[in-house]
Amino acid sequence: MSKFAEPMARLIDELKKLPGIGAKNAQRLAFHILRSSDDDAEALATAVRDIKAQLRLCSVCNNITDVDPCSYCSSATRNLRLVCVVEEPTNIAAIEKTRQYNGVYHVLHGSISPLHGIGPEHLRISNLLRRIDAGEVDEVILATNPTVEGEATAVYLSQQIKRPGVRVTRIATGIPAGSDIEYADEVTMLKSLEGRREI
Amino acid sequence: MPLKDSEAVVLRSYPLREADLLVTFFTRAEGKVRGVARSAKKSKRRFGGALEPLTCVKLYYEDRERQELARIDSCEILDSPLTTAVDYARAVALGHVAELLDELLPEREANDALFRLTVAVLRSLRAGAIWMPLTYFELWLTRLVGFLPELGECVVCGQTLNGSRAFYHALADGLMCAGDKRLASSEMTPESRALAAQMFRTPVETMAQQVWPKSKAADLRKFLIQILERHLEKKLVTASMLDKLQ
Repeated sequence: MSKFAEPMARLIDELKKLPGIGAKNAQRLAFHILRSSDDDAEALATAVRDIKAQLRLCSVCNNITDVDPCSYCSSATRNLRLVCVVEEPTNIAAIEKTRQYNGVYHVLHGSISPLHGIGPEHLRISNLLRRIDAGEVDEVILATNPTVEGEATAVYLSQQIKRPGVRVTRIATGIPAGSDIEYADEVTMLKSLEGRREI
Repeated sequence: MPLKDSEAVVLRSYPLREADLLVTFFTRAEGKVRGVARSAKKSKRRFGGALEPLTCVKLYYEDRERQELARIDSCEILDSPLTTAVDYARAVALGHVAELLDELLPEREANDALFRLTVAVLRSLRAGAIWMPLTYFELWLTRLVGFLPELGECVVCGQTLNGSRAFYHALADGLMCAGDKRLASSEMTPESRALAAQMFRTPVETMAQQVWPKSKAADLRKFLIQILERHLEKKLVTASMLDKLQ
């Protein structure tokens, strides 16, 4: 016999599927939802339903959006000829935090990962190439992660993107601001020396 | 439990809980060891780039009573694949080395010869020059794990193959002479067999200057992958990706 009534057991099972949620946490969340007001529970259910019903990928940059093209691609104040390529939509928030970048984005939705059988054909590259071929881009910034997979993706993209009149750049790798050189690992130190600039 | 240390190669890492990583290492002292690197996903301060696949590290870890997974204390980078260019072909080759080791190594069983082979091959595996080190690795790996048949004689009749044609088949345990070959067998060229013999008596560093095209010793690599996949009873993900490389 189940420990909980069927609807409760079903909700716990569904919550357990979320990342970072184990059986105990799922139980706690389910009881919290049960104890919350009808309005709150309804709002949560609606939010979950809407995220699937209303969100889609931007046809220009593959960012997750509720309007197509997304707010970045349709912005009148952004430089549409400067494109920053990122692995995931969540990476955009990190770049936006700088408040310095005024270009647009292209989201790959992953990176080349041979161990997981993910090759270049699995990444969303075709609409980026279309933008470049249409002469809409002056510079592409490759902002994939500085990991083996991210580097392989950046090198692959740079080979595919290279066109006359299109500048392809890679974000810098090095010592994080506010940290201590003494604690930097060898690879980070090497990369920061390679990427040094004149002041 | 005292802290242990060993040279190690990072094979794979998987996200675990909110911020931890479950990492598989090939250690020199104890073979394949799996452990948890706490907060490795959230904070890069403690581990930096040391948990990237195929990084050679000095690993400090602790075994916990009645627990299968070790606690990863820290890693010092000895050599990283990120110090030189990583193109797509090299990324696939690195992934292939990691997949083979992860699939073939038993847990907690030291294999010093295989460890030395791995470190030496990783040093030779450069962008634009992957085929020689990969062939070398596959050949020696197959031998060191005990799956490599005698390449100089027919597996069916025992006839010496030196100087005569040799064939292989996905379901055969070794090379076959023209008289015993199975239907749909492939031929292994005398050049590839000579290269295999050369690789058995030459260190990888000595051969590292040679840049092989993909076609060189392709039949030998196919033969070796067939052997390994038959013993693993599964297809290797990275083998098909290597096949597709231009």
